Amino acid sequence: MIEVSHIAKIYHSATRETYAIGDANFTVGKGEFVSIVGPSGCGKSTLLNMVGSFMAPSSGSISVNGQRVVPGKIPKGLGYIFQKDTVLPWFTVARNIGLGLKFRGVPQAQIAGKVDRLLAMAGLEGCHDMFPHHLSGGMRQRVALLMTLACDPDILLLDEPFGALDSNTKMVLHKELLDIWQQLGQTILMVTHDLDEAVTLSDRVIVLSAPPSRVVLDHRVDIARPRDVFSLRQSREFSEHVRAIWGVLGHEFKQVGREALEHA
Amino acid sequence: MLDLSLEKPVVPLSPEGQAGASNTLDSYRTRAAREASRDRLIVLVSQVVILATVLGLWEGLTRVPWFVQNTFMDPFFISRPSMVVQRLYDWTVGAQAGFIWPHLASTLLATMIGLVVSVVTGFVVGLLLSQNPRVARVLNPFITGANSLPRIAFVPLITMIFGLGLASKVVTAWFIVFFLVFFNTFKGSCSIEKHIIDFCRTLGASPSQITWSVRVPHALSWTFAALPNAVAFSLIGVVLAEFVGSTVGMGYLIISSLSTLNATDMFSTITLLSALGIFLVTMIRKVERYLMRWAPEFRE
Repeated sequence: MIEVSHIAKIYHSATRETYAIGDANFTVGKGEFVSIVGPSGCGKSTLLNMVGSFMAPSSGSISVNGQRVVPGKIPKGLGYIFQKDTVLPWFTVARNIGLGLKFRGVPQAQIAGKVDRLLAMAGLEGCHDMFPHHLSGGMRQRVALLMTLACDPDILLLDEPFGALDSNTKMVLHKELLDIWQQLGQTILMVTHDLDEAVTLSDRVIVLSAPPSRVVLDHRVDIARPRDVFSLRQSREFSEHVRAIWGVLGHEFKQVGREALEHA
Repeated sequence: MLDLSLEKPVVPLSPEGQAGASNTLDSYRTRAAREASRDRLIVLVSQVVILATVLGLWEGLTRVPWFVQNTFMDPFFISRPSMVVQRLYDWTVGAQAGFIWPHLASTLLATMIGLVVSVVTGFVVGLLLSQNPRVARVLNPFITGANSLPRIAFVPLITMIFGLGLASKVVTAWFIVFFLVFFNTFKGSCSIEKHIIDFCRTLGASPSQITWSVRVPHALSWTFAALPNAVAFSLIGVVLAEFVGSTVGMGYLIISSLSTLNATDMFSTITLLSALGIFLVTMIRKVERYLMRWAPEFRE
């Protein structure tokens, strides 16, 4: 469970102070899949960074599984997937996936078994001894996900995890992510700029406003599960949810554009 | 009659057809292989032709009286390939059998020690400094200053301090090569992206685990990029120190041949030094290719 209460983030530069986040306030329940969308510059990645303890909020507090997040101290049971490539190129795929367990001092034999199981689950058995540069972007992102899953996180923070992938690869990974989530039931908070992706995957979609941002919409996506990520997008239900969210989100995008014009 | 059906029947390939397809593929493969080996042959032949032309002109022109009298193409100044070969033969197994080995061994030893010491110190200092940004800022003007010094000018001083033996050769090599390795490692180590370190921290890595699993391999890839140059410069440093003051080594041989005005000795020594340089760089590249097999530019 993730509780974000009255978070604000101000950036100080030599000439002025910029309010990135004005007042962010929301909760993600245990086992829930929640997405954050918002216009560019609304601080959605910043928010995720603060939940991950990589950055300190200017005011407000965050707690993960009831424990208050202290900047610089990674909350227990937290996994984090970045948009950028995080697979270490100098280790083989198997060594990468076992890395977290090795960091935690798990014996080598146990690591090998778990790595094999994870590779089999993702259908990547053949990649065991390959170096990451042999893999495509989508495969590498899958390996990054396995690296995180090896540590059995119960909270997953996803920072535009599929942002760099083509739309077909993206959909395949959506399906895999949903399968994993349905099996293991992690609490997932995902930041994305892709509204379709947010609606496809989430239980709730939170819309942040133009900066100084706050939550302007907390929309429940009550599409039944398990969802078929491939056919879902053609359904009427799906487009109704997208339209409802876009009604608010589109307005915020316009707002950002207008302010940019005023500052110019 | 107009055929309006959209679905065309799919005709499966007959066994003969499949055999035909695989025959075409095989003949394509043999053709590609033949073309590749032909290409390699052309390159090799051209290289041999160029080398033979240069050596042939050198050998031939130094035998033409007009060139000998009116140009520098005089065996007194530039010797002659056949004389160099004869001298190399004498030095190794001929009249002065074994003469060259102590000199070659001395230069090789100093070069290797200089290289190892420079690479280790340059790597460690570069890595440490990249992790202490404040110390790096404090030292920055001194490092920039030291790097812009004409370092060759210090060789006599080094010889004065460390004497005529191995030590001054190693120190000279280190003085020249250290910065090369240090700068590359430092720049590389500073270029690690923050999200990779953050990601490893979410996997439970301690600071020392991040150093060993992330910072060191990342920095090493940059250190390796400097190695072929480091070998060449280490050799230059050692020969330079031997010029200035030493009693043994390839640089010493060159300086002695200057006092006896013996071009054949000089060219023989230079030939051996070039061979040594090429050998060392080739070895380093082999090591690099193995250790860096994960990097795309070394993919098989």
